[in-house]
Amino acid sequence: MPEPANQGGSGVFTVLVADDNDVAQRLCKRVLEKAGYAVLIAADGLEAVDVAFTQHPSMILMDVAMPGIDGLEAMRRIKAEMPTMPIVIASAHSMASDRERFLAAGADNVLSKPFRLADLVSIVAKLAQDQKVKDGQ
Amino acid sequence: MPGARPRTAPKPSWTLGLVRRLTPLAAVAAVFAIQAAAGAGPVLVFPLYLTVILLTALQLSRMESLATAVLSAIAILIPSLVGGGQPGDMAPGLLLAVVLMVSAVAITEVVRQVRETEAEARRKADDVVASEERMRSMLEAAMVGLALADADGRWTEVNDRLGMILGRSRDELMQLSLTDVTAEGDRSVLDGALALLRSGDIVRWEAELNQLRGDGTRVPVAIAIGTAAGHVSGGPLLLVQETDISARKRLDGMRDCLVSLRHVIVSGYAWEQAVPQLLGSLCAYLDWDVAQFWAADTERKALHVRHYWHREAAGYEAFRDQSRAKTIAMGVGLLGRVWQSGVVASLEDLSAANDYERADVAQAAGLKAVAVFPLVEGGVVVGVIELLGSHVRGVLDDEVTMLSTAGVEIGQFIRRSDVAQALRRSEADHRAIFERSPIGIVRISSDGELVEANPALLSMLEHDFETMRQNAWPDLLRAYDQAASRQRFAPLLAGITAGHSVQVRAATGGGKWLWLQLTATSIPDSSGRPEHLLVMVEDVTTVRETSDQLAEALESQRDANANLEKLDRTKTEFLSIVSHEFRTALTGIQGFSELIRDGGLEPDEVRAYGGYIFNDADRINRLIGDMLDLDRMESGRMSMRSGDVDINEVLSEAMARAGTASTVEFKSDFDPRLPIVVGDRDRLIQVVSNLVNNAIKYSPDGGTVTLSTRAEGGYALISVTDTGLGIPADEIGHVFERFRRVRSGAAQSIPGTGLGLTIVKQIVEMHGGKIWVESAVGHGSAFHFTVPLAAEDATPLQRRHA
Repeated sequence: MPEPANQGGSGVFTVLVADDNDVAQRLCKRVLEKAGYAVLIAADGLEAVDVAFTQHPSMILMDVAMPGIDGLEAMRRIKAEMPTMPIVIASAHSMASDRERFLAAGADNVLSKPFRLADLVSIVAKLAQDQKVKDGQ
Repeated sequence: MPGARPRTAPKPSWTLGLVRRLTPLAAVAAVFAIQAAAGAGPVLVFPLYLTVILLTALQLSRMESLATAVLSAIAILIPSLVGGGQPGDMAPGLLLAVVLMVSAVAITEVVRQVRETEAEARRKADDVVASEERMRSMLEAAMVGLALADADGRWTEVNDRLGMILGRSRDELMQLSLTDVTAEGDRSVLDGALALLRSGDIVRWEAELNQLRGDGTRVPVAIAIGTAAGHVSGGPLLLVQETDISARKRLDGMRDCLVSLRHVIVSGYAWEQAVPQLLGSLCAYLDWDVAQFWAADTERKALHVRHYWHREAAGYEAFRDQSRAKTIAMGVGLLGRVWQSGVVASLEDLSAANDYERADVAQAAGLKAVAVFPLVEGGVVVGVIELLGSHVRGVLDDEVTMLSTAGVEIGQFIRRSDVAQALRRSEADHRAIFERSPIGIVRISSDGELVEANPALLSMLEHDFETMRQNAWPDLLRAYDQAASRQRFAPLLAGITAGHSVQVRAATGGGKWLWLQLTATSIPDSSGRPEHLLVMVEDVTTVRETSDQLAEALESQRDANANLEKLDRTKTEFLSIVSHEFRTALTGIQGFSELIRDGGLEPDEVRAYGGYIFNDADRINRLIGDMLDLDRMESGRMSMRSGDVDINEVLSEAMARAGTASTVEFKSDFDPRLPIVVGDRDRLIQVVSNLVNNAIKYSPDGGTVTLSTRAEGGYALISVTDTGLGIPADEIGHVFERFRRVRSGAAQSIPGTGLGLTIVKQIVEMHGGKIWVESAVGHGSAFHFTVPLAAEDATPLQRRHA
């Protein structure tokens, strides 16, 4: 189990990666840590909700097709409690209609799998920048 | 006595009469003077006196003759009286005087006789002349034609009237005989009569003949011929009496014509048959030669010739043909005017006509006069009849009246015939429908008795009429009423008016069951009460069966459509799932290969990432292989290499492949007497391997996997049972569907393409077997499948799962 992120004073931007595929988990963790972010992992929807509520990540990178509740249901539950929590849907469901569907469901951004590593980093970096601006105010 | 009768001779003047009367006195005085002078004796002068007396008697009257005789007697006596006075001398004189007197008396008597005879003869002759004159004036004054003819019929005397009747002058007639002026057709009759009259066998003959007028026309006459008193050479004199009966004949003709027309009309002929007779009667009785019926076509406002009739003579064809080719508009020409006005019209002489278009061709056919009368029904002119005659003739008022009457009667007849014909046609139609309809038709009385059944019904129900009437029909009637009451219709005999249809079951004579549709219609009598009923009987067995089949087919079509829709959805879903699977696998491949490419990694990192990349690539490869397999199987393009397969050996092989590295314990429970099956050994190994691998995968904590075989009902029954995670109840129905992987709970991280069980099911079914699963979460799963045994006595396996 990942350790709770030190979000408060340290200012480390923490990303929760919710994905049932361990290869995807490892890839995201490796790339984001290398970019300087803290990474939390959840292997299904329920776990993602649980981690979000208990460890308050800075943002969530959410897969959709997961056992139990899927990523969209998890997002709905998290947004109900934490409406400002940035959630990026990262899904292999990558038809045009899927993107609309995810945004309509409340996603802050959508990342189609497979993705270029730079895209993943820039999406997270942008949210981190937004966060910094907000904190600065 | 003399002078009593008037003399026919002219009276002489009184002077001349006096002279004549005094002449005998003078003659007597002269003789007396001679007697006295010569003193001749009485005997001598006696002849002289006698001569005077004779002459006087011849010339003068009897009184004068007697007076002369007395004077002569006195004169002969005078000498005797004067001369002697002797009685003896007086005797001869006296005697002579007496003789003289007697002679005078005798002579005058003879003369008187002669004269009387002569007067009588003269009187008789006068009578004859007077009689002749009376007779002649009578002849001339007579209204009848009178004539005398000799025994051969040659005229000897004719009156003017006869000349008028025959249209010839008296002189002309005198050149001809009775036979000459008689129409050819009547001559033989006449000649026969003349022969009888000549022979004296009959004295009087009467007849009606046609005679020929001077202008060649005929005149009908009543003739009476009697033998008259007196003979001429060769036979008796004939008194001929003739009356012109043309007026009477014309009236008779018109009367007879109407009678004849009515006879035809009431004889019950159809119009088509009656028309020639009507036209013929008009010609025959009214003395026309051609008759044509023109029908009025009110829609097209035109008259057309429908029927044509002419006397037996040639030369009318051109006229007929032109008439037939002609269309006459209302109000145009003679016929058009009659059609429009409804009034009889005629043209006395076609050569003077200017509104008769066919005048030329009519005249060429020898037709000279025309009369047209309308056929009227209910105030409407339904046609006209055109009559044409071969001589110039007018149409008199009474004939106009007669034709008008005939027109109304014929018009009504046309209407009646039309109606009757329509009725007959309708009757014939109905009869044909009844006899030849493929639908069964029965006519039943108002009390339900079968009156008539058509051939179609009898053959449909395979009954003869009697059976039909006595048995089958009452059954049908009951069945109708039952069906009707179910559908809330009135029973058959309760005043059906419109056709209600009911369907009933009925058995044929041959024992076949049919569905019959009965449709009843009541036929009312004139008072509106149902007089009888018609029931249409249709065999709807096929329709019923077909409609059942159709409903079934529709149902299955609906299912098929639903399946198609589902298939379409499934296909889209499948594509979505497949792309998702690929992209998931590619995420790792792409991401880690990008990391390696960018460099800066530790060697063991590179090794680990290469391992991830290899695994995902392999997964994609398997996915593609499974999908192609499945596609080939589902499209029937998968070829099976069939051969004898020992199932027990297949299971052993699969068990061996699953391997040694497994964390589970294998058990086997093979039926050693299991017969050989026919199938594709490699595929069957694929099935068992898949099931065994699944059993291992879903037994993450180890456990036992049991493989068993058994022969059951002609099938080899193979079971792979594990003690693993089990399948949740809501997923167990879907495990054989594509990309359905049990991923709940502990099973979520178990890898797989999601196509394995779908492929397994396909292979089993391709072998003619079935596959099913029993499972309980936490207790494990048991997959069973069957493969038919090679033995011929194989019977279907009873499915045994719940």
